[in-house]
Amino acid sequence: MSLLRGAERCVAAIARTKHLNAFISLPEESALLRQVQDAETNGRGPLNGKLIAIKDNICTSDLPTTAASSILKSFTSPYDATVIKQLRAAGGLIAGKTNMDEFGMGSHSTRSFFGEVAQGTRNNKRVSAGGSSGGSAVAVASNNAWAALGTDTGGSVRLPAAYTGTIGFKPSYGLISRWGVIAYANSLDTVGVFARSSQDAGTVFNALNAHDPKDPTSLPASTRSRISSVVSKASRKRPLRIGVPIEYNIAELNPEVRAVWMQTLRMFANKGHTIHPVSLPTTCHALSAYYVLAPAEASSNLAKYDGVRYGSRAPGSDASSETKSVLFAKSRGEGFGDEVKRRILLGAYTLSAEAIDNYFIQAQKVRRLVQHDFDRVFALPNPLLDEQPANGENNQVDILVCPTAPTLPPTLKSLEGQSPVDAYMNDVFTVPASLAGLPAVSIPVGYVVDGAAATVGIQVIGQYGDDQLVLDFASQYERLKLY
Amino acid sequence: MFSRPSSSLYRGAAQGRYVCQACLRDVRVRRQLVANAQCLQLRSRSLQTTTTAEEVTPYRKQLKDEAKKKKLEGGPKASKKKSKTKDPRLEKWELTVGIEIHAELNTARKLFSSAATSSSDAPNTHVAVFDVAFPGTQPHFQRETLIPALRAAIALNCIIQPKSSFDRKHYFYQDQPAGYQITQYYEPFAKDGHITLFDHDGIAPEDGKSITIGIKQIQMEQDTAKTIQRPPSTHLLDFNRVSHPLIEVITLPHIHHPSTAAACVRKIQAILKTIDAVTAGMELGGLRADVNVSVRERHNTTGTGPDNSYYGVTGLGQRTEIKNLSSFKAVEDAIIAERDRQIDVLEAGGIIEGETRGWTLGSKETRKLRGKEGEIDYRYMPDPDLGPVIVGDDVVQALRDTLPELPDDIASKLVSSVKYGLTMKDAKTMVALDDGERLDYYLDVVQLLHKDLENDTALQGSIGRVAGNWVLHELGGLFTTSEEGWTDTKVMSQNLTSIISQLLRRQITGRTAKLLIATIFHGDQRTVNQIIEEENMTLRPMSREDYLATAKALLSENPDVVQAIKEKGQHGKIMFLVGQMVRRSEEGTVEAKTAESILKELLEIPRDE
Repeated sequence: MSLLRGAERCVAAIARTKHLNAFISLPEESALLRQVQDAETNGRGPLNGKLIAIKDNICTSDLPTTAASSILKSFTSPYDATVIKQLRAAGGLIAGKTNMDEFGMGSHSTRSFFGEVAQGTRNNKRVSAGGSSGGSAVAVASNNAWAALGTDTGGSVRLPAAYTGTIGFKPSYGLISRWGVIAYANSLDTVGVFARSSQDAGTVFNALNAHDPKDPTSLPASTRSRISSVVSKASRKRPLRIGVPIEYNIAELNPEVRAVWMQTLRMFANKGHTIHPVSLPTTCHALSAYYVLAPAEASSNLAKYDGVRYGSRAPGSDASSETKSVLFAKSRGEGFGDEVKRRILLGAYTLSAEAIDNYFIQAQKVRRLVQHDFDRVFALPNPLLDEQPANGENNQVDILVCPTAPTLPPTLKSLEGQSPVDAYMNDVFTVPASLAGLPAVSIPVGYVVDGAAATVGIQVIGQYGDDQLVLDFASQYERLKLY
Repeated sequence: MFSRPSSSLYRGAAQGRYVCQACLRDVRVRRQLVANAQCLQLRSRSLQTTTTAEEVTPYRKQLKDEAKKKKLEGGPKASKKKSKTKDPRLEKWELTVGIEIHAELNTARKLFSSAATSSSDAPNTHVAVFDVAFPGTQPHFQRETLIPALRAAIALNCIIQPKSSFDRKHYFYQDQPAGYQITQYYEPFAKDGHITLFDHDGIAPEDGKSITIGIKQIQMEQDTAKTIQRPPSTHLLDFNRVSHPLIEVITLPHIHHPSTAAACVRKIQAILKTIDAVTAGMELGGLRADVNVSVRERHNTTGTGPDNSYYGVTGLGQRTEIKNLSSFKAVEDAIIAERDRQIDVLEAGGIIEGETRGWTLGSKETRKLRGKEGEIDYRYMPDPDLGPVIVGDDVVQALRDTLPELPDDIASKLVSSVKYGLTMKDAKTMVALDDGERLDYYLDVVQLLHKDLENDTALQGSIGRVAGNWVLHELGGLFTTSEEGWTDTKVMSQNLTSIISQLLRRQITGRTAKLLIATIFHGDQRTVNQIIEEENMTLRPMSREDYLATAKALLSENPDVVQAIKEKGQHGKIMFLVGQMVRRSEEGTVEAKTAESILKELLEIPRDE
C-alpha cells in the first residue's frame, strides 16, 4: 500500500470516528497529505510518511500543546520536544495531538477540558478508552494513525492499550528523552508507544532510543553500553522462564481477566516456556506509594502554571488583600480540573513539614523495596546497580506475565459514581513496573465472550534495560487467540 | 496586575536566541584576564563589576531617603547620641545573631541553562525556556558555576561535600517562574566552616582581639527575576536575573554584638570579592543578608532558661528573622532595633513570637512581615530531574592551590613586611578600596620605587610607608576633592614614583611634590622631570644665613604669635610660621624641616619637642 493511500485512510478514519473525541488538534488535512506525497517521492527514514498521533502533553511547535487543561488551552510551545524532532528526522508525520486526562492524571481519559474520550459503544453505552493516553490508544485502535506516542507515569500507556486492544509499550525509564514532555511526575514519566504490532512499536522505539543531553535523566552513552553488555552477557535460553507474581492474583481481579491470564500462561507452557510462581511482597504497598510520590511531584511540577508568562489567566487581579485571595489562586482555580486539584492538594500535603516523614519518605522507601523485589526475581542483574544483592533464590525468571488491568474496560456511565480511590485501583498492576522503571508491554489476547470476540490486555514485564526481550516476546505472541 | 508575556521574551525564545554571543565573548576575555592577573598576583576585579547607573541608583536613593528620614526625626546628631549611649539593659540581656548571606556568583552562565548571566542588558534578552519554566523544559546544571562556589567554600574554611544535591523550595511569587526555587536544602555542597574577625575588622570592643564565627553551611541556589514597579498596579518582570547562580552562606548563632555582625558581613564580602567569587558587593545589590536575632538573660537564676537550639548551639531565646538587608549599616541598625524591641517585650513580661520581620533603611523599628501561622511551608522536595553533584578531591585541591591571597593575609603582609611597613589601618583601607585596584597601584609604585632607589639603601626602609601615604592620602585626596572615581590612569604609577623618588632624595620639597601631583592630576601631559625643569622646581636649598634672616624677619613681623608660643606654650603655631616661611621664599628653596628647626632655635625651644 502506498504511503499516500495509507495516510488517506487514516484521514478518512479520523473524520469517521470524530465522535470518539480522540484528538484535541489536527493539522491542516491538505498540508498533511502534501507532506505524505512529498515523503513518497523524496522521503527516507524508518518512519517515512507514517502518520503518528501525539499525546497532547508532548510539545510541538506547529500545533498547540494543551495537556488537555484549560490553563494551557491556547498554548503553543515555542519548541519541539526531542521525541518530535526524532520522529520528524526519521520521516514521521504528526497525525494530530490526542486527547487525554488533564496533565496525565486519570485512568479513563474522561478528565479532559476538551471532553471525554471513548473507544466506541457496548450495548449503546460509551466504553472507556483507558487513560491517561486514551486519545492515542483510540487513534491507533481506530486506524486514525499508524502509531502513536503516549506517556506512561503509572500505566497511562499500558492501561489504554489493554482496554483498546492495541500494543502499548513503556520502555525502561531514561531511554527516551523527556525534553518537551510536560512533566506530571518526572521520576516516573516515560514516553511510550502505541501500535498495532510490536514490530511497529519497536520501529518507533528505535527511532527515539538515544541519549539526549537536554534531558538530565536521559541515560548517557556509557550507561547504555553498560546495559547492552549486561544484557548480551546473559545466557538467554529459549524457551524462557516466565514468572507469575502470586500477589497479583487479587480478590478484585475480574474473573474473565483471571481466566484469560491463566489460559495465556497455559498456552505459553504449551509453547515450551516454563512457568514459575514468584513473590513480589511489596506489591500491596506499591499503589499507595505511587499515589504519594506521583502527586507530590505533580504538586511541584504544576506550580509553574500561574498565567503570568503563558497560558490562561483569570480576568482581573489575581491576588487582592481586600478579598484575602492568595496569589494566583484565581487563575489556578479556574485553570485546573478537579482531579488535578485533588492531586496537587494531595502532593502539597504529603510534602508538608508535618507529613513528609510519614508519607513522602516512607513512599520512597517502599519504592526502593519494589525495585528490590524485582531484582530478586529477575535472572538478569539490574545493570544500574554496581553490586547485586546476595540472592538466595534460584527460581529466577526472564520475564513476568500478568494482567495489565484488573478489569475489562468499563462504560463511561459506570464510572460516574466511582470514587477517586476506585479509579486508582486500575493502576495496581502497572504501577510496580513504573516505580522500578522497568520495560513493560501490554499485548491484546483475544478470547470469545457471549459469542463475540474480545481482548484482554496481558502485560509482559522485563528487568531494567531488557526492553528488546520484552518487545521480542510480545511480537511472538501478540496475535494470540484463545479460541 | 502582571504583564502578559513580553513580546521580546517570546520572540527570543522562539528564535532560540537565548545567549548573546558578544556577551559570552566578553566573559571569556574577562576570565582570561582574571587568570592572567592572578599569575601576577594583581587582581583586576573591577573587570567583573559592571557598574551601571541603573544599579547604583537604588542604593544612593536609599542613602538619600535615609538621610531625609533622619532629618525629619531630629537630625543626625540625635540618633548618633542615642547609639553611643550604652543601654544598661544589655548588662542583663545577651543578644545572639546568626546571619544568612546571599551572594551572586560570578559566572558566565545561569545555574541551570546555557543562557548568559547579565546585570545591565536589555530586559529579557538572556532567558532560556527553562528559566521561565516553559512546559516540558528541564534543568541543565552548568558545572562551571561550581568553581566560584567552591572557592568561596574553601576561603571560608568549609568542608567540601563529595556529594551534594538540589531540592525544590516551593512558594508562589511572580518573580519565581517555576513556583519553586532550586536550592540545596538536604545536602548542601559545603559544611562546617568558620571565619575569624579581628579588632581591626571593626568588631565590638567586648569581643576583644578576635572572634571566630562558625559557618553552618554554604548552598547553591537560583536567583529570582527582577520586578520593576509601575504604580499603581503594574509589575514589569525582567527574567535576565532569574536562575543566576547564588550562594547562601549560613553562619552559626555565634555573634553577640551588632557591630560584629556588620563586620562579619563586611569581611565575608571582602573575601568573596578577593577570590573573584561574586559579581558585586552589597552596594550594587550583589549581596543580601537575612539575620536571625534572639536575646536571652545572661544570668538566669530560675533554671528555666530558653531552650531553643540551632545546629548544636543551645539555650537560645526565641528568634525572629529579619529579611533582605542590603547594606552593612542596615545589618547593624536592624539588629539593634530588633534587640531593643525584644528586650522591651520581655521586660514587659511578654513573649517573643517566632516570626519574619522587615527593615527599611533609616527606620528605627523592624516591622512584622508574617507570623508563625503565616509562615510558608516550603515543602522541600529533592528535584527529581537533577542528579547528585559529585565533586572530586582533585578539583578541590586544585582550587585550594590556586586560591588568591585573602584580604587578611594581604593586609598583615603590608604591615609586617619591611618592604611596605603600613599601619594596620592603612593596610586594611588599601585592601578594601576600589575593588583592590588601589592596592594594585600601590604595589606597582612600591615595586618601581625599589628599583629606582636600588642604590640608596638608607631610603629603602621608608619607601612602603611614604608610598602608602601618597597613594592613600595625597592622591586619594585629589580624587575626593574632585569627586571622581578612582582610576590608575589619572596619575600613572611611573609619575607618582618619580615624584616620591625625588622627594625622598631631597631633590624637591614636599610642597613641590604636592604641587606636582596636583598638576599632573589636573591634566598636565609633561613628564615629572620636564615640569620640574621647566618650572624651575628643583630644590635649591637656602644657606643657613638666609634661613636665619628670613626667620628673624618673620618673627619680628608676628609678635603676637611669638608671644603665644613662648608664653602660652602654643607650640602648634610654629607650623603656621613654617608655612609662612615656605610661602614667602622662592619655590623649591625652603624645606619645611629645616625651617622648623631654625625657628625652634630662634624661639629657644628644644628640638625634640
